[in-house]
Amino acid sequence: MYHKLIIEHDRAPYHYEKRESADQVIEAYNPLCGDKYKLYLQMEEEVIQTAYFHGYGCAISKASTSILVKKIEGLTIATALELCKQFFAQLESNHSEATPDPDFEAFTTVRKFPGRMKCVSLSWDAFTKKHS
Amino acid sequence: MLDVTNIRKQFPILDQRNHNDKPLAYLDNAATTQKPVAVIRSIQEYYEQYNANIHRGVYSMAVRSTETYEKVRGQVRQFVNAKTSEEIIFVRGATEGINLVAQCFAEPRLKPGDEILISAMEHHSNLIPWQMACERQKATLRIIPMNQKGELELDTFDQLLNERTKMVALVHASNTLGTVNPIKRMIVQARMKNIPVLIDAAQSAICLPTDVQELDCDFLVFSGHKLLGPTGIGVLYGKKAHLEQMSPYQFGGEMIHTVTFEKTTFADLPHKFEAGTPNIAGVVGLGAALEFIQQVGKKNIKSHLDLLLELGTEKLKAIPGIRIIGEAAKKTGIISFLLEGIHPHDVATILNEEGVAVRAGHHCTEPIMDFYDIPGTTRASFGLYNTEQEINQLVKAIKVCRHIFQKV
Repeated sequence: MYHKLIIEHDRAPYHYEKRESADQVIEAYNPLCGDKYKLYLQMEEEVIQTAYFHGYGCAISKASTSILVKKIEGLTIATALELCKQFFAQLESNHSEATPDPDFEAFTTVRKFPGRMKCVSLSWDAFTKKHS
Repeated sequence: MLDVTNIRKQFPILDQRNHNDKPLAYLDNAATTQKPVAVIRSIQEYYEQYNANIHRGVYSMAVRSTETYEKVRGQVRQFVNAKTSEEIIFVRGATEGINLVAQCFAEPRLKPGDEILISAMEHHSNLIPWQMACERQKATLRIIPMNQKGELELDTFDQLLNERTKMVALVHASNTLGTVNPIKRMIVQARMKNIPVLIDAAQSAICLPTDVQELDCDFLVFSGHKLLGPTGIGVLYGKKAHLEQMSPYQFGGEMIHTVTFEKTTFADLPHKFEAGTPNIAGVVGLGAALEFIQQVGKKNIKSHLDLLLELGTEKLKAIPGIRIIGEAAKKTGIISFLLEGIHPHDVATILNEEGVAVRAGHHCTEPIMDFYDIPGTTRASFGLYNTEQEINQLVKAIKVCRHIFQKV
């Protein structure tokens, strides 16, 4: 499960910085394990100009959040939501109709660790919930 | 000394390999212990041979189930050295025992401004019931502080005891830190001021003395499943004088004397507190577990756990980047630790890949995590069947964690 990509993002997460004044601050929190991140989105109309995050959690949740903020920059909220859908679909099944995203593949082994599924989906769930 | 090889044979679950063909090293005994064949068989025998409700049937099976149930109450009485079996109440576990005392003993005695005193290292089960009772009665929950090693500050404890203190609830051995609290001395301090004391012996009952007469505690609780018995069964010991004064916890069958539409009178102790059909199979299993512990000997279990604790602490401390949380002078077989830069859940996941079963998280003691300003720990907790080899397996697995996270 500890794919190279996950370890890399855990050690050097993308845009790992507090930006409390951002247009959107989204909290992703799992009370069962205590993992907690804040996502900071700077918007220009419907487009996410920059995305940052900060918080505390395991390598899996941190890497997954890092990839989320990296990928949604430059996307509209609607496209970002589509991306979340694709992420969840790829997590759930190998037979997703969309072309598999290599960055997402690192997380698919989590299927073998049902106890850790929430770590992978935490921030993606929070983003989706905020915008639906 | 324990004949661990022989003991392990009594626990069939231990003889297995994980999905990576690594042998199981079960080091999560603080969460629950495994069950010996004798316990498993006793439950099977009950269901196969004499399953019948207790205290009502006149047929032979019902007589046997009733006799067995009450015989176990006698065994528990001996186990904690209570004066009479009436002081032994079967409950679902330590949690229910504490809730019962909080609701039926403490709460009716609380007035606004009164205080209940607990320690900084209580499991949520010995915190929230008191917090709720205080909230309802506008009383205050006060906390005995601890130092960085995870030892309670006894001088402060003495100062905290005052005429408003209506109850002291204390954990004997911390499930997170492993600290063994000097409960004997603390009970004396509280009893001198006539303050009743409840002891949470969930972690300690398997290896430390729980002689309620010697301790002179007012209440003591423990769970069956942490001392080789089944889940869903536990014990509340209470001094007879208290239990007699207390109102029932729940109402229903088995706990009555006479019932009319106008009025009900309640059964005598201990049945007053055992409404409804109890967990008979659980009681049977608990009896087998206590017998097993008696045969092995609590002192022998303690020596073995002390040995594992010493070995484990020494070997873990030698690993670079490790920090042990809980370094009290007196500890039971529990080691909570942090690996620098690696989250406890990641540690536990990798340990599982190596066959090592541990717990990660806050261990139902969030205030302890706040005290150390940490999100959680990884916890290895030992049982009477664990071996030095398993500690070596743990150490090796921790090194794998460091390797995966490129800390070596």
